[in-house]
Amino acid sequence: MAYYLLQRDQRGAHRLAESLERALSSLQHCERCNTFTEERICQRCANPQRDARLLCVVEMPADLAMIEQTLAYKGLYYVLMGRLSPLDGIGPRELGLEKLLARATDGVVEEVILATNFTNEGEATAHMLSELLAARGVRASRLSRGVPVGGELEHTDSGTIAQALVERRTL
Amino acid sequence: MSHKQRVDQQPSFVLHSHPWRETSLIVEVFSRDYGRVAMVAKGARRPMSALRGVLMAFQPLLVDWSGGGEVKTLVRAEWQGGQPLLTGRALLCGYYLNELLVKLSAREDPHPGLFEAYSEALCQLAGGQSQGVLLRRFELALLRELGYGVLLDHDARSGEPVDPARRYLYIIEEGPIALGADIGSVDPDCQIISGQTLLDMAAGVLERPETLAQSKSLLRALINHYLGGQSLQSRRVFTELQLL
Ligand SMILES: [Zn+2]
Repeated sequence: MAYYLLQRDQRGAHRLAESLERALSSLQHCERCNTFTEERICQRCANPQRDARLLCVVEMPADLAMIEQTLAYKGLYYVLMGRLSPLDGIGPRELGLEKLLARATDGVVEEVILATNFTNEGEATAHMLSELLAARGVRASRLSRGVPVGGELEHTDSGTIAQALVERRTL
Repeated sequence: MSHKQRVDQQPSFVLHSHPWRETSLIVEVFSRDYGRVAMVAKGARRPMSALRGVLMAFQPLLVDWSGGGEVKTLVRAEWQGGQPLLTGRALLCGYYLNELLVKLSAREDPHPGLFEAYSEALCQLAGGQSQGVLLRRFELALLRELGYGVLLDHDARSGEPVDPARRYLYIIEEGPIALGADIGSVDPDCQIISGQTLLDMAAGVLERPETLAQSKSLLRALINHYLGGQSLQSRRVFTELQLL
């Protein structure tokens, strides 16, 4: 797309550059769910219709979007912006787990749904979170394995994800 | 073109992979007959790629590849099955094994014996066996297979067989020296270890609690030494998790 704009539509290229610039300067992480937003607290987190007793933890904003598409979930989210990956040097510190733990122990959250991918890294992340949450007396559940082994939410059909949400299990 | 440029149906494990270009992966594979090999899996990150779910670490695969350069081209990967996925703490142990292989073994240096030890360790991890024992057994096999010649059953200075009733000072790159003999000045982080532990390690029998504890600290010192200053991320992550 960038090449096309540079060649055929220089004015369009300028507009794109400006809006990217604007997005970059105003974009921040939501204080509650950690996803990208232009406000301090994103619209989803600020919505009183959502069930604040449920907190669903996903790896990336694309995973959140996928779950939203199922219309099967009314709770809130926490976006890790990554996953545990020891060989890449990504551990609890790099993932900023303190922020999630503080969010999950706010006294309102009753259940944390671990919806990390069903890859080794996603499983390792879910395991780590389940232990940390258990130590803090927070109930955790995991998406059931309707999602194919080795699969990623971003590329799974909504029906499968909806079923996995229905069949979530306590760890 | 040499016939070596095409390898078929090679028993292998994925050790690590990272994204490459828009839709591909660079995969670090540990194979039985060719050791550690890097290869590009073209299109493996496309949503509908058949390779997507197959190229998972800790699962036994049969891999075909081609090419003579440093980075080969993955042609086919087939899941062999028969091994449950690693979960929980076993998964974190698996990462540690993979990091040891990535950091200590050289590319394209075949070690079928080490491949065997690795397969066995994964199988035991998946089967829920005592992790301490299997990790120590793998560490020892790794150092031996890579040719670091860890001396365990003889006194490095006197040449006498190790006496289970005596205590030894273990000097890296040298071996055990019976305490009490005149050994001159020693490095303060040298390991003091019982003769019984040394003999247990030599025999590969690690279940005795003292053997397990002492071999853990000796093997850690040896591995740190051969890592030559590289740190192990999987170990750091493990430690950090325990502090949270
Ligand atoms: Zn939010």
